[in-house]
Amino acid sequence: MDAFFQTYFDFQIIDENFGYVLEGFWWTIRLSLLGGALSLLWGLILAVLRQLPGRALAPVRWLTVAYIDALRGIPLLLVIFLIYGGLGALASEGVIPRDLGIPRWFGLPSPFWYGIIAITLTYGAYMAEVYRAGIEAVPSGQTEAARSLGMSHGQSMRFIVVPQAVRKVIPPLLNDFIALMKDTSLVSVIGLVETVQAGRDVYSETFNASALTLGAFLFLVVTIPLARFVDWQIKKQNLKFQRGAP
Amino acid sequence: MSRPIIEIEGLRKSFGDLEVLSGIDLTIDAGEVVCVIGPSGSGKSTLLRCINLLEQPTGGRITVADTQVFGDGKPQNLDRLRREVGMVFQQFNLFPHLNAVENVSLAQVRVLGRSKGEADRKSRELLGRVGLDEKVDEYPDRLSGGQQQRVAIARALAMDPEVMLFDEVTSALDPELVQGVLDVMRELADSGMTMISVTHEMGFAREVSDRTIFMDEGVIVEQGDPAEVLGNPKNERTQRFLGLVLPG
Repeated sequence: MDAFFQTYFDFQIIDENFGYVLEGFWWTIRLSLLGGALSLLWGLILAVLRQLPGRALAPVRWLTVAYIDALRGIPLLLVIFLIYGGLGALASEGVIPRDLGIPRWFGLPSPFWYGIIAITLTYGAYMAEVYRAGIEAVPSGQTEAARSLGMSHGQSMRFIVVPQAVRKVIPPLLNDFIALMKDTSLVSVIGLVETVQAGRDVYSETFNASALTLGAFLFLVVTIPLARFVDWQIKKQNLKFQRGAP
Repeated sequence: MSRPIIEIEGLRKSFGDLEVLSGIDLTIDAGEVVCVIGPSGSGKSTLLRCINLLEQPTGGRITVADTQVFGDGKPQNLDRLRREVGMVFQQFNLFPHLNAVENVSLAQVRVLGRSKGEADRKSRELLGRVGLDEKVDEYPDRLSGGQQQRVAIARALAMDPEVMLFDEVTSALDPELVQGVLDVMRELADSGMTMISVTHEMGFAREVSDRTIFMDEGVIVEQGDPAEVLGNPKNERTQRFLGLVLPG
């Protein structure tokens, strides 16, 4: 039992490396917040593109569906490598501007931005599906009422359908956000020392897992309250549903 | 002094193999109040939904206020149509994320381009007219079905339509709430609004409508003065239907 505690809960190692792991966690937070915000936005754009009306826009719908299917079917790890390997190469070939190929926007290193791009591309596709479920759950009477009042498809989506859809899908979107936050650790493979990599660095120096335990604990500090918040949201919605509100 | 406001010629509508409207010819004059009755599945709601093109007809021609809005198999001048024709639904279809005033104001601002202040003034005035002065800030889930339906009527009126379509607007209401909605419709009819109402309220049809239309199996079977159609129907199908729905 002592060996167990020694391996996972060596407070001296935790204490000595707290700042290092916390610095990694700060990357995790930034990846999660920015990646999450951009995924929410990109997912909504995809979901709206997928719902565009009319025969003329069918190609847009197909492309959107193809994109969503593809990105949901590829591991995020692989997307990270594709972005990291591809953008840099394209920039050095002169196909795309150097600022895009090796992004260092706002003084942040390029692995961070490669990670943000990969996370947004992948999680945007996941979230698009969540939004779609929400959009399809809005009763058709709502769009009919909007149309009968003279609103265009765009106005009806913007003022009637999307506001209701988003409210319905806040819990599943938050669940996706929790998954996203954990997946930011994959960005470590292209050289960003986020929480997990920081823990591994300490491990390879000390052969002790306590810094990894600390990392796990830092994740839980955020994810457990979020999970409780999701439950509370669902409960609130169910209550509203029982009261007979749409 | 009658002027046709809606002219329907040879209107047909099929859902797949099922023909729901089999050639409807109908002219509605400005200011006329028309009630459409008939058994379920007779096509009366579909007729209403075709008039404002929520359903696209399969064939025929529809003209609203001298503007052709459907012909040659496709909709035309849809904006004009939606401006001229207001619709109230069986299930109210209020926007649940907006309060009563916002429900009535939204399309005024976004479609008609009225200022927020102007639209809200109009909305409050209309909500007052349908007896909901006290409920202007309530959200739909805090209103009874009858109140919701009256907000829906105000919402349609806010667009200053020439014609109002009512699609079984009291069918989803508890019996004690029906009268309030019918009173609003009666007041509207008295004010000279052109109205087409698909309804199961025979009393309303008898007292308020200028013309009652009986539909069955996708055609207009009989139409005319409500006292005649409801009290002394000529057609055997009308007689059978009324025998089933009218007491005594």
